[in-house]
Amino acid sequence: METQIQLTCEDVPGKADARIVRFIGDLDATNVDFTTEKIFGYFDEGLVKIIADFKQLRYVNSTGLGVLLHFNKSAKEKAGCFKIVNLNENVYEIIEIIGATSLLDIYDELDEAVAALV
Amino acid sequence: MNNNALVMEISSDEVSSEVAVLKITGFLDFSGIAMLSGFFGKITAENKNYLIVDLAGVEMICSAALGEFMGYRKKLADKGGNLVFAGLAGAIRSKLTLLGANKIFSFYHDVRGAINAYKWDYKKQSKSITVSFPPFLKLVPPVRQLVSRLARQNGYSTKDAFRIETIVDEVCNNAVEHGLGDPGSEIVLRLSIDKEKVELNVTNQSDPEKISTLRELIKPAVQSDHVGDDDKRGRGLALIRMLSNNMDVKITERGTSVHVVKLREEQQ
Repeated sequence: METQIQLTCEDVPGKADARIVRFIGDLDATNVDFTTEKIFGYFDEGLVKIIADFKQLRYVNSTGLGVLLHFNKSAKEKAGCFKIVNLNENVYEIIEIIGATSLLDIYDELDEAVAALV
Repeated sequence: MNNNALVMEISSDEVSSEVAVLKITGFLDFSGIAMLSGFFGKITAENKNYLIVDLAGVEMICSAALGEFMGYRKKLADKGGNLVFAGLAGAIRSKLTLLGANKIFSFYHDVRGAINAYKWDYKKQSKSITVSFPPFLKLVPPVRQLVSRLARQNGYSTKDAFRIETIVDEVCNNAVEHGLGDPGSEIVLRLSIDKEKVELNVTNQSDPEKISTLRELIKPAVQSDHVGDDDKRGRGLALIRMLSNNMDVKITERGTSVHVVKLREEQQ
């Protein structure tokens, strides 16, 4: 029984190389491979500017956090970005106590993240 | 027979020799005070310090009776005991609340709830569960979610339950990743929860080929508070250490044992 995670994708008006990806469920060791495949699939299509909407992401563990850091680093290497918005309090705490808030590109609101796209 | 006739009976709950349950039905008005005092005398004579008054069948209670309860509660409290109410019906509950009794007495939905509170709050008893499962990653989420639900059911806040869930997840993931992967082996999680803390002990069989690597891996996690962008390993142990109040890891040729204590931080 793998933990369920769903990733849904939508366009960002006026930004052909950007997508908003909504994470729904739990991000953990049982589904990081699936998640990595999806995100790197977008990168491979030239969609290197990803805004990850975590509004419906309930849970993340250290393995999940590891892939988020990996996405962030890989996107930058491709002259893109991996921005995170709408973190719930519990997920933010995990990122914060592991010291990764300064390593990730985190925004409070979706509009802010979209506006920050270059 | 008058349906409103006052009836009182005592039953001693099997949970403890110091607990008595006084079941009252009918109208508890001024005329019933003497009967109530008589029962209090019997309870005192039997050295019972914790009285659960079952008011489920009470249709009316007068303020003088409430005063009697307050006086007896004080006597029990002086001896380290308590008097609590169970089974309060809507109108009686409203009246007692209006009189401010809810600030003095604890109210419980039923006798069972009052007994559970006695064990949990008063005697500070703990509840324990043991879960054994083969070392498969896919089995970790249901285990961590089970523990999280248990914490919530026992009054822990959503935030505390989330932290406990994370600790269980990380410890079990490490056991799967670094322990013996043989499907015949098992990971054993023992959890003890009480009002103030959760204690977790996870054991698994060691993989002889991974022991030296594992011993190395736990070092930076124990020493460092923050893990950098490129550190592929050790985030899980670092997270456990930062979320918990105490963590102890023992690695032997036979097995690995992780003991974690997490104090309750938030009251509901």
